[in-house]
Amino acid sequence: MPHLVLAYIDPGSGSLIIQVVIASVIAIPVILRARIAQVARMFRRNEQASDATDDGPPAA
Amino acid sequence: MTALRPPDGQPQTLTSRPAERDPGSFRDPGGFVYRRDGVLLRQVGASLAADWETFSSSDLAASLVREGRLIGWEKAPLELAATPEARAVIRPEPVEFISYPYEWTFGQLHDAALLTLDIELEALDAGWTLRDASAYNVQFRAGRPVLIDLLSFEPLEPGQPWVAYRQFCEQFLAPLALMARRDIRLSRLLRADIDGVPLDLATQLLPWRSRLNFGLLSHLYLHAAAQGRYAGNEDEGAAAKRTRIDPTRLRALVKSLRNCVAGLRWKPSGTEWAEYADNTSYSDLATAAKERLVGELVGRVEGPVVWDLGANTGRYSRIAADGGKRVLSFDIDPAAAERNYRSLRRDGRTDILPLVLDLANPSAGAGWAGRERRSLVDRANADATLSLALVHHLAISRNVPLPMFADLLADLAPAAIVEFVPKDDPMVRRLLAARRDVFPDYTLEGFRAAASTRFTIDVETPIEDSGRTLFLLRRTA
Repeated sequence: MPHLVLAYIDPGSGSLIIQVVIASVIAIPVILRARIAQVARMFRRNEQASDATDDGPPAA
Repeated sequence: MTALRPPDGQPQTLTSRPAERDPGSFRDPGGFVYRRDGVLLRQVGASLAADWETFSSSDLAASLVREGRLIGWEKAPLELAATPEARAVIRPEPVEFISYPYEWTFGQLHDAALLTLDIELEALDAGWTLRDASAYNVQFRAGRPVLIDLLSFEPLEPGQPWVAYRQFCEQFLAPLALMARRDIRLSRLLRADIDGVPLDLATQLLPWRSRLNFGLLSHLYLHAAAQGRYAGNEDEGAAAKRTRIDPTRLRALVKSLRNCVAGLRWKPSGTEWAEYADNTSYSDLATAAKERLVGELVGRVEGPVVWDLGANTGRYSRIAADGGKRVLSFDIDPAAAERNYRSLRRDGRTDILPLVLDLANPSAGAGWAGRERRSLVDRANADATLSLALVHHLAISRNVPLPMFADLLADLAPAAIVEFVPKDDPMVRRLLAARRDVFPDYTLEGFRAAASTRFTIDVETPIEDSGRTLFLLRRTA
């Protein structure tokens, strides 16, 4: 538990545990959005890649 | 280093006088605040030295200071340390008047809360986090909140939860929610408990429908329930210390707290005085005369700081400030002080600080040994007080004898500008309407006699078309 070495105030057991619970719920849309963006980027990359092969200069 | 030499310019070693530790700076063993030769200093101990070194040269620190959100500082020589354990000494920029959260208006506490969360969000993005989120770490400088605790920053270890989450909720979120959703006067709870409002108490006092607000449900109700569930359980405590939270979720948590705080609103109306300024017995002629006379008398006062006691929404504070003074603008009514704060912010004024104060019961010393938070009288830095349309409220509504009123003014400042409101004034008649007149000494002559116990009367002038009298008093004893 190295992250509590410098904590001079009492963070409170309940306060530590509940913030993980709350954050997990709150972060669902954030994480979903990030995943969707990631998948969208992947598709775009694939599209660009296939575009490049379609319109690219003919092989020598 | 020249700036650190005593002002008399006498040759003297820098460490000639002992360090006086600030009685309010002992909770963090990593570094404390003290004064040497009147200069405010802070020493950094071994446990925080490396973090301070990194933080003090970081872009985060530079930008927060540039934007006026974190107090500035200079490096001071290590010889100025208070104890041999020091690894570094810093000289933080001093704040002219230290005020406490229980003296702030709703808007001030709200702005201080948002400042804390915005700094935490920026810190998280830069790989740092706040080790504490105490409301006492925020002060008002030039009208705006500023974080004064330079040692609050520590590097964010991935997986680390927010250690200051509980403190933020107790010192900011709970009182703000109570003030906004139950009763503005509940800010007084901050005076009763300087660590903030216990969350189980807050949830009992809040209206039931507060549970329907997602932020309050999570950060207050579920939070309070979790505190109760895990309190005093050793195994659970050990498990809690191992709690991990990934940085995306941690940021979402702080962002959610910010949304919750931002959603708390309070409209300053409906309290005793909020409409008072629009409801006085003054004619236009008398108002103009009073404004002119107050401006003139303030101009005769030496020194830059004026305390306007009973300022209402700050009309005369502005006159004093326009005359070049820096003004603390006190009022007993949280709505009047809030309106004052909002209009000052709107106008971008930096020379007036509104605060909530009941002069018949000013902030006492609080915390450890009653000295951790200083009493209001102990913090008096005024060159003059301004008591306009105030004396009758204290003398008649609160039964304060005039000599005791003069005593308090003399304890606060070397000069006093006082408006005496006679018994035949409509406002005084209203105060006496429902009670027996037990104030035979409340007369102009009685006021002169009371004032003379501590002051000489430099100026006494009637306010045209009002029956009231304005005094400029100079302290003698």
